[in-house]
Amino acid sequence: MSEPEDAAPRRFLGIPASPGVVVGRAFVADRRRVTVPRRHIAPDDVEAEIQRLRVAISSARVQLEQIRSRLSLDASDHSVILDAHLLMLDDALLIEQSERAIRDEGLNAEWALRRTVEKIKDVFDRADDDYFRERRSDVDFVGERVLRQLMGAPMEISRPLDLHGPVVLVAHELSPADTAALARSDVMAFVTEVGSGTSHTAIMARALTIPAVVGAPDALRYIATGDMLVVDGLRGVVLRNPTDAEAADATDRGERYGAFVRSLRSNRAGVARTRDGTPIRLRANIELPGEVAVAIDHGADGIGLYRTEFLYIDRREPPTEEEQFETFKRIVSTMAPRSVTLRTFDLGGDKFSTAFRIPKEMNPALGMRAVRLALRERDVFRAQLRAMLRASAFGEVRVMIPMIAAVSELRASRREFDLAKEELRAAGLAFRDVPFGIMVETPSAVTMSDLLAKEADFFSIGTNDLMQYTLAIDRGNEHVAHLARPFDPAILRAIATVSRAAKERGIPCALCGAMAAELMAVPVLVGLGVHELSVEPTAVPEIKEALRRIDLAEAKVFAEELLGIASAEEVEQRVRERYEPVFATLLSNGENGTFTETGTFVLPEYTGLR
Amino acid sequence: MEVLNERGLHARPVTRIAQTASKFRCELTLSRDGQTANAKSVMGMLLLVCPRGSRVTVRASGPDAQTAVDAVRALFVDRFGEGT
Repeated sequence: MSEPEDAAPRRFLGIPASPGVVVGRAFVADRRRVTVPRRHIAPDDVEAEIQRLRVAISSARVQLEQIRSRLSLDASDHSVILDAHLLMLDDALLIEQSERAIRDEGLNAEWALRRTVEKIKDVFDRADDDYFRERRSDVDFVGERVLRQLMGAPMEISRPLDLHGPVVLVAHELSPADTAALARSDVMAFVTEVGSGTSHTAIMARALTIPAVVGAPDALRYIATGDMLVVDGLRGVVLRNPTDAEAADATDRGERYGAFVRSLRSNRAGVARTRDGTPIRLRANIELPGEVAVAIDHGADGIGLYRTEFLYIDRREPPTEEEQFETFKRIVSTMAPRSVTLRTFDLGGDKFSTAFRIPKEMNPALGMRAVRLALRERDVFRAQLRAMLRASAFGEVRVMIPMIAAVSELRASRREFDLAKEELRAAGLAFRDVPFGIMVETPSAVTMSDLLAKEADFFSIGTNDLMQYTLAIDRGNEHVAHLARPFDPAILRAIATVSRAAKERGIPCALCGAMAAELMAVPVLVGLGVHELSVEPTAVPEIKEALRRIDLAEAKVFAEELLGIASAEEVEQRVRERYEPVFATLLSNGENGTFTETGTFVLPEYTGLR
Repeated sequence: MEVLNERGLHARPVTRIAQTASKFRCELTLSRDGQTANAKSVMGMLLLVCPRGSRVTVRASGPDAQTAVDAVRALFVDRFGEGT
């Protein structure tokens, strides 16, 4: 494989936001700001210049209206934003100030407009309130749209004539207007520099079932329109100018992935069982209530983790008990009779909420987060616990506390839980008996798991945080992230310790980290005694199929053997030797993990949420 | 009038005010802390920066002034349809 001569990177790592693999030409929607020509105009030209500005504004309006009319029913939020943009276009503030600058100071239309926009943005910048500060981007968006009209630089995707067929859309970020405009055009994949698995682009891509990689920094700096790209929405990788072999390989994988998804979905029904018939609970992790439908559709046996913190993010005050109750009730009754594990808010760390005052911390992962925050904000915590308990009247509920690092935290949480029950009884509100469990994701919880098991009704191992804390690796730090290997012996031993402790006390031991969705990890996990796995909804069919190929007794013997191995590399090697043949067809299709040139099996990097 | 909805006069409420205001012929303004904005100007109103709890004065002059003020008041009272 020859590297290109220029030093520009070919590989861009991002977040796999929508699965699939495609190869295609890039179309770069460059939303970086255009450079504005600045010149003074002759007094005689003033009226013509003002006229030019008005024409530009009205063309921008026509464009926006067209986009708006294309927005479908489910996009009401976006159409409101577009309405706001449309009104801004007509805004006296914008128009009059710009026209005045043309008339009084003899500025050209572009310069006048840009200056007006800058002034308005300045005022927003000075606001104390985050929300209003962010409005600067709306003003900017509208201003840029008119500017591009003035300069004949189109805002919308209008592809070069020599670029035929579907394209890979590459952008810094995509606004609702962009995605709406694109929904019906020939786009085979999205790549954006910013965003997360829950961003608008990601949701849209999954709905369109096209691959997307988001949060790939620098993509715009190096990718140009017309570049051939491989977009790997399974691993979160974008490859620029692939070799013929790489392109052929990607095309193959994309096609196999399509066939694979179709075949798996066809046998998704039924309980997950290992080959010898032992049932393994296979549940889904969700963070948006809407994902319940996806979970059911993919054959999940319940929700193993509902991340309630998403109810708290991006708002000024915590959600009320009623609001949470309504949400939980909807999820629980939709899933019934399958069980739903509601995890109390895991805020702080990398999940910031404006609903709480959390001072800036040097080391947020080790700071005021999750259960620590809950025990500080007891009223908010108890309101959430009451909402969870009340939802139990409508189906199977389990309550789970994140980030427990000491038995005392479990006890303090349980006291709040008991208080919440008393409060509900006093208020005459119905609830049922609800198991009360904990996330095991700190090294201290692993060490103390035998005693925690006496007081918790179930365990759920969170491997993402457990890896970060056990291996002392910041998974967001690109220099060390590659050292965080799920097959690290320290992690396997931790899981073994926890599952043994659970077994001794006869409580269920689940695992809800990203590791559960790694095909090659599945036999290891069940071999170590984990009997409930919770994975992203779309991963359910594949993991279910993997479980069907595993003999539990064999997996146990194998896991025991792994516990004696000293390094992650050796464990990976051993797992590969043993289970590659078992999973051959799944691996080649399902794309879990990769084989390097030297033949080592490596799991993809973890970029997802805890 | 007091801003009751959770997020204050953000894009959605302001859009609704402007849409309502443009149905009337009268001059309609919103003021807060000595600053005044045309109620038909989305940006102008956003620039007033009104978070929840702020008090806004609505003034109207013209043929349908009273009806216009009532219509805007209804939006405020209804929390712009945002519930909380």
